[in-house]
Amino acid sequence: MSDVTRRTFLRRTGLIGGGLLAAPVLGACGGGTGGGPAVTSGAVTINLWTHDPNITKTFIQSAKQLSDAPGGAFDYTLKTTQADSEALVTKMVSQGAAGTGTPDMIGIVISVFPRVMAGGIGKQLLLDLDSVVAPVKDDLLRTSPYSIDGKLYGLETDTCLSVLYYREDEFKKNDIPEDVGTWEELAEIGARLHKKTGQSLGIVATGDNTSITNMFLQLLLQRGGGYFDQSGNLTLDSPEAVEVLDFMAKGVASGFLLALPDPYGAPNTAALKNGKLIAAVMPSWYNVYGLQTNVPEQKGKWRMRNLPKFAGGGHIASALGGTGFAVLKDKPNTAAATELLKRTYLTKEGQFLRFQHGGYLPTLKSLYQDKDFLGYEDEYLGGQRLFDIYTPASQDSPVFYQNPNLNVLIEALGGPMLETLQGKKKPAEAIKEAVAAYNSKKGN
Amino acid sequence: MLSVARRRALAPYAFISPFYLLYALFLIVPIGIGGYLSLTEWAGLGTPLWVGLDNYTRLFGDASFLTAIVNTLLYVLFSVCVVVPAALLIAQALNARGLRGRDFFRLTFFIPVVLSPIIIALLFTLFYDREYGLFNAALRGFFGWGGIDWLGEPSWAKLSVMLLVLWRWTGYLTIFFLAGLKNIPRELYEAAAIDGAGRVHTFFNVTLPMLKPVTAFVAVTVMVGTAQILEEPMLLTKGGPGEATLSVAMFIYREAFTRQQLGYAAAAGVVMFVIVFLIGRTANAVLGVGREK
Repeated sequence: MSDVTRRTFLRRTGLIGGGLLAAPVLGACGGGTGGGPAVTSGAVTINLWTHDPNITKTFIQSAKQLSDAPGGAFDYTLKTTQADSEALVTKMVSQGAAGTGTPDMIGIVISVFPRVMAGGIGKQLLLDLDSVVAPVKDDLLRTSPYSIDGKLYGLETDTCLSVLYYREDEFKKNDIPEDVGTWEELAEIGARLHKKTGQSLGIVATGDNTSITNMFLQLLLQRGGGYFDQSGNLTLDSPEAVEVLDFMAKGVASGFLLALPDPYGAPNTAALKNGKLIAAVMPSWYNVYGLQTNVPEQKGKWRMRNLPKFAGGGHIASALGGTGFAVLKDKPNTAAATELLKRTYLTKEGQFLRFQHGGYLPTLKSLYQDKDFLGYEDEYLGGQRLFDIYTPASQDSPVFYQNPNLNVLIEALGGPMLETLQGKKKPAEAIKEAVAAYNSKKGN
Repeated sequence: MLSVARRRALAPYAFISPFYLLYALFLIVPIGIGGYLSLTEWAGLGTPLWVGLDNYTRLFGDASFLTAIVNTLLYVLFSVCVVVPAALLIAQALNARGLRGRDFFRLTFFIPVVLSPIIIALLFTLFYDREYGLFNAALRGFFGWGGIDWLGEPSWAKLSVMLLVLWRWTGYLTIFFLAGLKNIPRELYEAAAIDGAGRVHTFFNVTLPMLKPVTAFVAVTVMVGTAQILEEPMLLTKGGPGEATLSVAMFIYREAFTRQQLGYAAAAGVVMFVIVFLIGRTANAVLGVGREK
């Protein structure tokens, strides 16, 4: 009989298997992210990951222009990967752990950005863009959503200014003034309208937690409140938050606001199509991705204006959404990717290209005074000059501070907020409950 | 150099070693790593920080996790008590002699299993919509009322997920029951008919006992599968409203891929494994899966 027993054999094969797996795992813990010398000029293939096809088109065009420009250091070829925004970050982290296969550039959606703030992921993988933006730093509109510990890791793709979209024809038909000064006045008009015609002047979401809280966040920021302050402290427990939630709950009860499970999905489209929803507070991208896509037949009937103010104060605009574009650091193509990002995001040509391809608003303050933008008329919105609205909005839009625990807060806030919108809970009670749940859930 | 005798003794082990190597690499080692991660704090990059049993302590004090467990148990209960009997009844109907268009019906019941989850999400979000949905429209048409907030009201949202489970998986389970029904000897039905047994008596005294092994297999499979339910609540409600439809698998996904707490998610995974294992073993023991009488 052999002296190698079955048990010994299994033990040994187990050790070999463990060793085989441990090698790459340990290698991955080393944290390298790419090999080879840095490419400083000539042909370069940039690996770009994004969730947005219009961003892909923009970068392809921008890379071509940059390659063709006299004196350009790089001849760009773009290899693009398009996937769900969550999946992109998951894959980037996995590849980062494996030490290979990370992209050169990645678009990180604002709601996903807290993931790269956790565990030092952003700092380990992404390039600190502070020196890149230094020449235009004071001209940049939004940097806080993509900053970690005061350093910038992503450049905003779209300022995402929120405005009030409304059906001009329906407003005229129902004698609703287009320049109502405050939300409180508009809510009264909306309640009367709903009683008379069954129509609504806005929506609240009742589906998943992100949708529920997004509608609230938009108005809360406008009112002058917020989730977190610059230092990362929770600031939700505020009179502004209670006021905004109360405003929304009363709006739902009166019919001024329409409750829908998904603010961008099929029910919303149905409400738009049958004329039940004739106004909505939405970010700039809603024009292209919401209205023009879902109700093209209503071309010429919609207009937009700055938001009515809350009687208690606040801004004339808000913001919702956004995507920060980041460059992966310490890779052979880091310099080339940074050049491409600078050209596409920090120059007038790049910003205009982005505006043409996807309707992304400029992220540089100065461009809101530029004649090329100011003269732009939107056919869908009846030839309206968009920057008559966006320029003042850009000067009075709130700041949103990002936080690694944003998703914890959204989970904590969603349930109580929904109960408030359904009239089952008082706004102040819901805010207190959400704050308590957040504090108990956020962990270390 | 190994002696001939020793080489001969080792040869069989060499032949079977690929299986053990792959088994260890793809099953044992990942499970071990999962167990190890559950004792650490890790965001996905860098070195995991050892925290001992902290994740487990936190987990059992986490109201979201407890909600997820209760929801998952409800889904399991619904699957066993409603989906399995429904599949059996449909199989029985499809097995009826002289049924026309049998293949068409089979195909119809099986389509939900192969349909893209994206299509399912789109369809059912529309069906369930409070204002414009098919279900409320049908209720209004038949009964004159239909203002149910299927996806916005917590208890209705749970039911909505369960109905989607029913729609999606009943046809798949029907295939197993159909196969079982085909294997029941026709003589037994003839003997029951001679004894004067009616349809109900025949079903309970011939069909059900003969289907016991298939039923047990289906029940255990459904229990274990539903205990890991992820797609249905994720597609339909993303766990909402609030956390009304959150399942344990969704909780794990959320912790890992929206909060980047991989150690905490791994601890929840270990707990889910234990629950699923216990459910599986208990069901196996009670229903006697694989035991010949």
